[in-house]
Amino acid sequence: MLLIPAIDLKDGHCVRLEQGDMSVSTSFGDDPAVMARRWLDAGARRLHLVDLNGAFAGKPVNESAVKAIIKELGNEIPIQLGGGIRDLDTIERYLDDGISYIIIGTAAVKSPGFLKDACTAFGGHIIVGLDAKDGKVATDGWSKLTGHEVVDLALKFQDYGVEGVIYTDIGRDGMLTGINIDATVKLAQALTIPVFASGGLAGIADIEKLCAVEDEGVEGVICGRSIYTGALDFTLAQSRADELLAG
Amino acid sequence: MTSTVAVVDYGMGNLKSVSQAVIKAAEGSGVKVVITQKAEDVFAADRIVLPGQGAIRDCMRELRGSGMLEAVLDAAREKPMLGVCVGMQMLLDHSEEQDTPGLGLIPGTVRRFQLEGRVQGDGSRFKVPQMGWNRVRQELAHPLWTGIPDDSWFYFVHSFYAAPSEARHSAGTTEYGERFTSAVARDNIFATQFHPEKSADLGLALYRNFLHWMP
Repeated sequence: MLLIPAIDLKDGHCVRLEQGDMSVSTSFGDDPAVMARRWLDAGARRLHLVDLNGAFAGKPVNESAVKAIIKELGNEIPIQLGGGIRDLDTIERYLDDGISYIIIGTAAVKSPGFLKDACTAFGGHIIVGLDAKDGKVATDGWSKLTGHEVVDLALKFQDYGVEGVIYTDIGRDGMLTGINIDATVKLAQALTIPVFASGGLAGIADIEKLCAVEDEGVEGVICGRSIYTGALDFTLAQSRADELLAG
Repeated sequence: MTSTVAVVDYGMGNLKSVSQAVIKAAEGSGVKVVITQKAEDVFAADRIVLPGQGAIRDCMRELRGSGMLEAVLDAAREKPMLGVCVGMQMLLDHSEEQDTPGLGLIPGTVRRFQLEGRVQGDGSRFKVPQMGWNRVRQELAHPLWTGIPDDSWFYFVHSFYAAPSEARHSAGTTEYGERFTSAVARDNIFATQFHPEKSADLGLALYRNFLHWMP
């Protein structure tokens, strides 16, 4: 089980939102590179970046902060990045800069053709971020709910050749109310590619529950607010997961 | 007569992925796959697969507590047996992890990687557990390596590894900071530190070889 610290970038700062609402943000640091180093030193094996302004603008906004993080981490651990990535040129530029995985969210749902092209051009580097509530997919920074079923869309994206799916329960994100394990497992069972759980991680009990379903294809979890507030000690949690799953 | 393979379910570990791989490997072979929590199924089976993940102390405790220990030891005497991950580590005499005694079926100990501060070829630090694909060098000719090229890639997730005291029990080795034994073999027993069930086609080939192995 890969525990992946999230750094959400808003106006160059590291923030956490509640249920994706840009007006309810808490700042946890003004130097994204320092934050990235902190999680690397805590034992992170992958980092999750979100360009929040980018997600709302539909194009990269916090690119300089992203570059500062890449410079800080070198090639120590892979970085996945999402937020406002809607064209192949942007993907290519980020991959050239040193990002390992590009997360496509809204654009995947609204323009499946773009996702298909991205998978063809940059196979092995494309992850889809599906945000959902009650099994239905949401787009545009969660402001719009679509009629698409999560599992149906995910199966289609798997056929395109995406590397994995990040499944975020938007009813829970930033709320510390616990991961939606059942919905995550249901998706993982339907797919052969890895699923990463996200949204609502509350504490070590969630990590233990996720480890119990790892074999279903739940390969990791995005850690947001819980590791910033201290509800979850990142290093201890990753060690606990290793203890439960590694040989 | 139909031959039967039992996947031992003693409550610990990667059971689903192992079972799926064994079932897939058995397709069209006539071998019947039983995934079981019952010792009598293991006694009755012709060959067994022993998975395992997590802390070896917990695995040993559950193996005893589930009543499977006798059946596994019985199988180890003469049936073809395949251990995976902690299912391999338990075969040795002893593990450094929480100072845990093993089954003593293969002489040697289980050690932890000592790689703190060491740097890999690409400049990044060695991480423990080792998670990912790595090459396995075949140290001896073995029926379970049939059709699998030397130095093939297999998938690993582990902090501990077997150090058999006799080199002849080391069937495969892998380089991760140091060269360690990644597959062990003795008579009717074969076991891997890597996860064949997570190693795509070559992993499946290994399971297939196991189902046809007549030691």
